[in-house]
Amino acid sequence: MAGDANSSDRRRFLQALGGAALAVAGCGSSCGSGRSAERRSDVGAVVAKGEPAHPTATEKPRVVVVRTKKSLTQGYDADRGALRTMLEAGLVALSGQKNTAAALARYVRPGERVGLKINGLAGRNAATHVELVDELSALLGKSDIDGEHQIAFDRFTSDLTASGYSSKPRGRGYRCVGNDEAGHEEELVQMPSSASRLSRVLTAQVDGVVNLPVLKQHMLSGMTGALKNNFGCIHNPNKMHIDNCDPYIAEVNAVPQIRSKQRLVIMDALRPVVDNGPSYQPGMGEVANLLLFATDLVAVDTVALGILEDLRGQRELPPLAKLGLAPTYLATSSKLGLGVSDRAGIEVITLDV
Amino acid sequence: MLSRRDFVLTCGGGGCALAAGVSAGSVLLAPGRALAKNAPRAFPARFWKKLPQKRIECGLCPKHCKVEDRERGFCGVRENRDGEYFTLVWGQPCAIHLDPIEKKPLFHFLPGSSAFSIATAGCNLECKCCQNWDISQSKPEDADFRFMPPDEVVRQAKDYGACVTFTYSEPIVFLEYCIDTAMAARKAGVRASMVTGGSGEAEPMQEVLKHLDAVKVDLKGFTEDYYQRMCKGKLEPVLKTLEVIRASGVWLELVHLCIPGQNDSEAEIRNMCRWVKGHLGADVPVHFTRFHPEYQMKNVAPTPNATLIRCREIAMAEGLHFVYTGNVPGLDGESTICPLCNKAVVVRRGFEMDELHIKNGRCEFCGNTIPGIWS
Repeated sequence: MAGDANSSDRRRFLQALGGAALAVAGCGSSCGSGRSAERRSDVGAVVAKGEPAHPTATEKPRVVVVRTKKSLTQGYDADRGALRTMLEAGLVALSGQKNTAAALARYVRPGERVGLKINGLAGRNAATHVELVDELSALLGKSDIDGEHQIAFDRFTSDLTASGYSSKPRGRGYRCVGNDEAGHEEELVQMPSSASRLSRVLTAQVDGVVNLPVLKQHMLSGMTGALKNNFGCIHNPNKMHIDNCDPYIAEVNAVPQIRSKQRLVIMDALRPVVDNGPSYQPGMGEVANLLLFATDLVAVDTVALGILEDLRGQRELPPLAKLGLAPTYLATSSKLGLGVSDRAGIEVITLDV
Repeated sequence: MLSRRDFVLTCGGGGCALAAGVSAGSVLLAPGRALAKNAPRAFPARFWKKLPQKRIECGLCPKHCKVEDRERGFCGVRENRDGEYFTLVWGQPCAIHLDPIEKKPLFHFLPGSSAFSIATAGCNLECKCCQNWDISQSKPEDADFRFMPPDEVVRQAKDYGACVTFTYSEPIVFLEYCIDTAMAARKAGVRASMVTGGSGEAEPMQEVLKHLDAVKVDLKGFTEDYYQRMCKGKLEPVLKTLEVIRASGVWLELVHLCIPGQNDSEAEIRNMCRWVKGHLGADVPVHFTRFHPEYQMKNVAPTPNATLIRCREIAMAEGLHFVYTGNVPGLDGESTICPLCNKAVVVRRGFEMDELHIKNGRCEFCGNTIPGIWS
């Protein structure tokens, strides 16, 4: 008789996870473009030699919340100029650098191929704002990441199109492609509770990913943010929406090929969906005019959960836990070493621009 | 028409095949018209109801997925579009093979015949041991599907002199296609069968059973823990389905894939056999088949022959009349033994039938009725 399949799977998974973390932390010039003697912190920032990683293992992860009082959204269109200002402020504050170019250089290197993992499944009303991605793309362009090296992706090309993303290059800007078009790897990635094939965009077409989720209440997982956005990197998210998506969200994010490419999160909370998400329901979008910046996916989701609950409270909607929808996957993710889910352990910087 | 001999020659013996995956012992067919990838056609789905705010609740299986607009259920092949539910796999099989009926396995249903076997992408379970995970755990867009409407399936099956069999992935998730095809088959005098995990709701199951001649159900384990842990499903709805099938009069056989250390304890096997005898009757054939490491269980060794033999002994001791071993050609337990005279009335090896001693449904040696569909 063979041993317990589950515990054996778990062992292998954790071994792979540990190995990946070590590999990333100590990868030196073998990572990414490999052009310089640089190193990455365990997840997120690319750090020039001699500089401290951000965050280090002993520092609190930083989440920057940028808000504006300007009327950002008109219908579902957003003000590009205001977004640019918010992006620049957020990147500088997150990185601790003096300007946007230096800030971006912490996360992506010139010449690298950057994936822009948007959330495009709910249509124009509740997808990552195109204007936000356009403005980020322009900033990346100024940091020597050409448009042809930027790929916005999510599960289906049709979703991207419906959300306002063209499948053709946007001038000199980024390309947009659905996983259905790019395909998935043949090889299965084994997790303790499931198995998946990874998007070929993730595995073969990009060196690093900027995670651009939308903050939304989710009727199955409680909340969707940066962690859940990575369901768009696998072929079978439909198999992982049971049990409040726990432990599936955590396990997917622990997959080394996914985790090692997470460089930066910019969460679109311009108009979060506060209830009956993740699809758009009239009246459920609450204008908040917020962008959240982080490199710790668990931390940014933890902060975002607080924002979501506040917005729900303003509408006298019950806390998610009362609906049986507490995003327990945050604590599970933390247990897997993916980040910090304790609000007290997170440095939150709030900027008004 | 492809003769049995031609078929066996094409298969290279058939009996050497060990696994029960799509390709083992099969003739790959590629009829129908290839569709462009990424373009599954949407057809109106049945068995669902509307919920507020453009949500729907699927009623096909016990999961009762509540599906958001533009989203799909657990199976990945049924999609909510603006508050209406659609199937993306009707008429779009991604596996089309000619199999021996023994591969299903259906041992009391037209032995020695062929099964025109079709499957689409998708499944409402996720079994860690799935041998056809590449299609069952895929969305239509990820599978190399073809357009093959029911009439075409039946025409092809008839040309091959085969019955139509819905199999490999999970026919429940393409139930509308099954119903329409089985109806067309009956109209054309072609028999239809289904291989399923049995995780379906009663109403849709009763609907498809009206048009089927035989069903094989994978009774994957006999504890809720097993179904939850290993299949992302539940046992209880499967047991209900078995009773629905039995009550319908459609021929039923069961398979229990014995996975070492997971579902092969003596207590579990004994409980299962007692339930089968008590709720379905002693004449329902039960197959104990060998597990082959696949999908999420590549680290588990294949089932030892001794386990299969022991399971068979337990089942027979519990009073089941027709108990088989499977996926191990040559192992004792492949042939059908008359419970009255103890003589082999159907002699098999692997997917091959060597001798048939049943006439008009009776044992040629003693005249005892052998339950099944023999001609």
